[in-house]
Amino acid sequence: MANVVFPYPFPEHLTSLMPEIFVAIAAMALLLIDLFIAQDKKSITAWLAITVSLIAALLSVNVMQSEAVTAFYGFFLLDHFAVLAKVLICLGTAFGMVLSIQYMKDEEHLGEYYVLMLFATLGMMLMASANNFIIMYLGLELMALCIYVLVGYQRKVLRSSEASLKYFILGALSSGMLLYGVTFLYGVSGSFNFAGIGTGLAAAGADAHTAIMLGLVFVIAGLAFKVSMAPFHMWTPDAYEGAPTPITAFMSVGPKVAGFVVFIRILADALPSLQNEYTMILTGLAVLTMAVGNLAAIAQRNIKRMLAYSTIGHVGFIMLGLIAANTDGYAAIMVYMTIYMFMNMGAFAIIILMNREGIPGELIDDFAGLSRVRPVYAMAMGLLMFSLAGIPFLGGFWAKYAVFMAAIEAGHLYLVLYALLFSAVGAFYYIRIVKYIYFDEERVAFNFEESSPMQLTVLVTTIAIVVLGIFPGPLMDICKQALAGLL
Amino acid sequence: MVGLSGYLIVAAMLFAIGVVGLFLNRKNVITILMSIELMLLAVNINLVAFSHFLNDLGGQVFVFFVLTVAACEVAIGLAILVDFHRLRGSIETDDINTLQG
Repeated sequence: MANVVFPYPFPEHLTSLMPEIFVAIAAMALLLIDLFIAQDKKSITAWLAITVSLIAALLSVNVMQSEAVTAFYGFFLLDHFAVLAKVLICLGTAFGMVLSIQYMKDEEHLGEYYVLMLFATLGMMLMASANNFIIMYLGLELMALCIYVLVGYQRKVLRSSEASLKYFILGALSSGMLLYGVTFLYGVSGSFNFAGIGTGLAAAGADAHTAIMLGLVFVIAGLAFKVSMAPFHMWTPDAYEGAPTPITAFMSVGPKVAGFVVFIRILADALPSLQNEYTMILTGLAVLTMAVGNLAAIAQRNIKRMLAYSTIGHVGFIMLGLIAANTDGYAAIMVYMTIYMFMNMGAFAIIILMNREGIPGELIDDFAGLSRVRPVYAMAMGLLMFSLAGIPFLGGFWAKYAVFMAAIEAGHLYLVLYALLFSAVGAFYYIRIVKYIYFDEERVAFNFEESSPMQLTVLVTTIAIVVLGIFPGPLMDICKQALAGLL
Repeated sequence: MVGLSGYLIVAAMLFAIGVVGLFLNRKNVITILMSIELMLLAVNINLVAFSHFLNDLGGQVFVFFVLTVAACEVAIGLAILVDFHRLRGSIETDDINTLQG
C-alpha cells in the first residue's frame, strides 16, 4: 500500500474553534431532536436553542488566550476582539430567540426556525474570527442565506415573502460587489489574507493604482450594503418591516456586529496604506447615512420601519468610529453595539407584546395613551426611547459620547458637529413617541400578552441601559482592552 | 497570447451587464437571478486570470468556493421566489410593491 503523506501538518490550536464547532454540532443535533418534540411543546426547542447560544458565549470566553492565536494556517484568528464580538453576537441571538417564543408559536415547522438562527450565529462567529477573505466570505454567506430564509419565514404573509425577496436580491448584489473588489485586491497583492493584502498593497507600484482603487471602492460598497450605510440602505426598511418582528430585532444586532468587526479588520489590517482614500469615502458615506437615516425616520408611521431608519442613523454615528481609525474609535464601536443591543431588544420586546387580538400593534399611533393603561411598559418604552435619542445619563448617551470623542481626537471636529446636529434631529422622532405615550389620548385598546420571558427581557434591557448609563466605565474598559492588540 | 488585461476587460463587461441587467430590468425576477449569476461569473474570470498570471493557486481555490456558494444562493433565491409566486400569483418586478421603500 502506498504511503500517503499529508502535505501539511495537522492544524494547530484547534481548541480555539470550540465555540464554532459546538454551535455547528448543536444546531444539527437540535434539528434531529426537534423531530421528537410535539407541535404544542415547541418552546422546548426554543429553550434548547437559547441554552446553546448562551453556552457558545461562555465557550468563547473560555477559549480566550492571553495573546492572539491563529488556527488553520492563519485563516482563523482568535483575539480578544473576536471574543468580545462573539459574546455580543451570541447574546443578541439569545435575545432574538427569547422574543420569538411568543410571537412565532403558531407557525409551522418551528424547529428549523431556531436551527436557522443558530446557523446564522455560526456564520457571524466565523466572520468575527475571519483573518482571510475566503473564510470571511463563507461566514458572511452562511449568515446571509439563513437570514434571507428567516425574513420570509411567515410563508402565508405576503409582506414577509416580499421582504425576503427584496433582501435576497440586494444581498446577492452586495456579495457580488464585495467579491469583485476582493479579486482586484488579490490581483495586486497575491494573497487573500488580510495582513498579506496589507503588505502587498503597501509594496505595490504606481501602475497598480487603478486596480487598488477599484478594489477599495467595491469592497467598501459591498460591506456598506451589509451594515446598511446610505446609499446602500434600500433593503433595510423593507426587510425590517416585512420580517417577523423577532427576526427584525435579531438582524438589527448580530449581523451589524459581525459586519463592523469585518469592516474594522479589513480597514486596519488590509487597507492601512489607503487610509486617506478610505477616510474620504467613509466620510462621504457617513454624511449621507446620518442625513438619510434620521430625516426619513421622521416621516414613518410604522414603528418597525421607523426603527429601521433609526438603525441607519445609528450606523451613521458608528461610522465615526471607523473614520477615527484608532483603537479608541474601534473600541467605541463595540461600546455602541453593546448598548445598542440592549436598547433595540427592549424596544422590539415591547412592540411584540403590544397585540390586539392577533393584530400586532406596529403603528406609532398605537402607542398613544399607553401610560394610562400600562404605566410600567410606558416607562420602559420611554426610557428606551430616551436612550436611543442619546439623552444623558442613559446608556445611549455614552455610546454616542464614545464615538464622538474618538472622532474629535482623530481630528474630525466638523464631522462630529454635523453628527450632533443629526442626533438632535433624531431626538425629535424618539421623543415624539414618548409624547404619544404620555400626553395623547388612548385611541385603541391593547391587551398586552402575558409572557414572562418577554417581560423579563423588557426588565433586563431597561435595567441594563440605566445601569450602563450610570456606570459606563467597566464596559468602556472591557472594549478598550479587547481592541488594544489590534493595531 | 491574450494578456491579463484582456481577461479583465471581459470580466468587467460581464459584471457591468450583470449590474445593468439588475437595475434596468422591468420584466421579471428570473432575469435578476441570471444577472446575479453573471456578476459572480465575472468574479470567477477575474480570479482565475489573476491566479494564472500571479502563478498562485489561491485564486482558483476561491473560485470553487464562489461557485458552491452561488449554487446555494440561487437555490434559496428560487425557493423564496416560489413562495412569493404562491401568494402574489406573479413574479414580475412591477408587482413587488406591497412594501413601499
